[in-house]
Amino acid sequence: MGLVRQLQHWLGGQGPRLSVADFVPEDHPLRLWADTFPWEKMVAAVDAYVPPSVAKETARGRPGVATRVLLALELLKAELACSDEQITSRLRTDFAVMYACGFEHVQTDRSQPHFVLPESVAQFRRRLEVPLMHTLLQIQATDAMEKGLVSPAHLVVDTFVSEQGSQRVTDATTLYKAKKKF
Amino acid sequence: MIDHIGAALRNTELVQDAQQLQGQLKRVMHTFGRTCRGQKKVYVTLVRQTEKQLLAVGQLVGPMALKTMLDLYEDTTLPDTQKARLHQHLQQATHHYEHIEHQSRQLTQGKKLTQAKRVNAYDCTIVPILKGKSNCPAQFGKKPGLLAEMATGFIFGLHLPEGNPEDAAYVPPLIASADAAIQALKRPRKPQIQSLAGDLAFRTDPVREPLHARGILTVGIPTTTEPMPRTASPQQVHAVQQSMPFPQAPSAHQVRVATACGYSRPFVESLIEQLACRGGTQLKYKGHRGAVIQVSTAILAHNAATLTRIQRNRITPRAKRYRRWFRLKPPNSLENNEKIN
Repeated sequence: MGLVRQLQHWLGGQGPRLSVADFVPEDHPLRLWADTFPWEKMVAAVDAYVPPSVAKETARGRPGVATRVLLALELLKAELACSDEQITSRLRTDFAVMYACGFEHVQTDRSQPHFVLPESVAQFRRRLEVPLMHTLLQIQATDAMEKGLVSPAHLVVDTFVSEQGSQRVTDATTLYKAKKKF
Repeated sequence: MIDHIGAALRNTELVQDAQQLQGQLKRVMHTFGRTCRGQKKVYVTLVRQTEKQLLAVGQLVGPMALKTMLDLYEDTTLPDTQKARLHQHLQQATHHYEHIEHQSRQLTQGKKLTQAKRVNAYDCTIVPILKGKSNCPAQFGKKPGLLAEMATGFIFGLHLPEGNPEDAAYVPPLIASADAAIQALKRPRKPQIQSLAGDLAFRTDPVREPLHARGILTVGIPTTTEPMPRTASPQQVHAVQQSMPFPQAPSAHQVRVATACGYSRPFVESLIEQLACRGGTQLKYKGHRGAVIQVSTAILAHNAATLTRIQRNRITPRAKRYRRWFRLKPPNSLENNEKIN
């Protein structure tokens, strides 16, 4: 059942073809938020970085979910304070989230419960490593300076405390623990 | 400890003296414990009274420890290794006494703080409150460091070390991350870091000297707890220009802007609050790598929101003023021309 769900894809729907950009207002906060990211450079950095813990991709099988979508979902999780399940669920119904994930057109069936599974987001997160996150920050800062929006002339440095909270129990963690156990 | 050493040296007189003294000290502490038992409070006045009694009774502890040390040194019956071990234990015991005395003197008459009262976690009189579970008595977190622009709070760098190093150790990696972003610019003339602001933890010379060598002003880092001036007088500007051995003396405008961009706790608190809204202060992912991923995604989301506000010109008047100083916006002729106004 898991494999069948994984193979569902938003491009294979039978419903009417909708243009996402036409649907989301131009001054929508998520649209404005998503438009600030230098997506091409960030996606290229993620694709170029293959951590040693992840096996190399092969040409076999159906292509995976685009890095652009998964990276946007990971960032949207922080912006909208959602869990993996909540953000993938919003991706199915919320056009602003679809726009932020780079969808141009959407054509779907009512019966289709997910565009992207929460497990795929958790799998993608395994590819993120410390140097890659620093690279993404650097790309965003460089892009903002290129556009003349910010200046590094006068800076402030400080520290803060991040408390280690308990990990939220999700389908992904349950699946991970089950796999580890058996 | 003294009676233990006395027994090892077969010095019955020393053992008897030590046990007698220990009994007297226990009697004093017994009275103290009975008064405080069940009250769930520490009565500072009672601590002070007990302290006086203990000090009066325990006057002989110091000379007795010295005498024991001399006896141990002169003894020829015990092997050297045992003597060294006993000597070390005795020294440790005497140091413990000093430490406890120091802690006891720090007790102050306090009252319960009101809810949401902001305190300095590093105050000597603040006791850390541990929150945990039965199988995990205390939870610990991480201490990320940020490097942000003073105008709008755009975050240029994140440093999240393992452990809890001193704050001064955060500066070089954070500056390096800002440098990396600057170097990646495709412009012939790249911007430079002109000043760095920070709190008292960053005031040490090992932090300031490398920054001065690079031509970065540190007038925004306070050296005392006194409030920092927001506008620099001509004398102060001249003093800064003279005191900092830069390769090239900073201009008066640079010094004035750097002084205005001094450390501001409300500004830093607003940054932390915005990261907290995006889950940057409550780590859910496991381990150091998980912490970096979570805080970094929160920062990326925060930066995007900041850029949105800048593009929509929905920023505070303070941020607008600072952006004019940073030459990111044309000067406001109406505001700056006093003759017209």
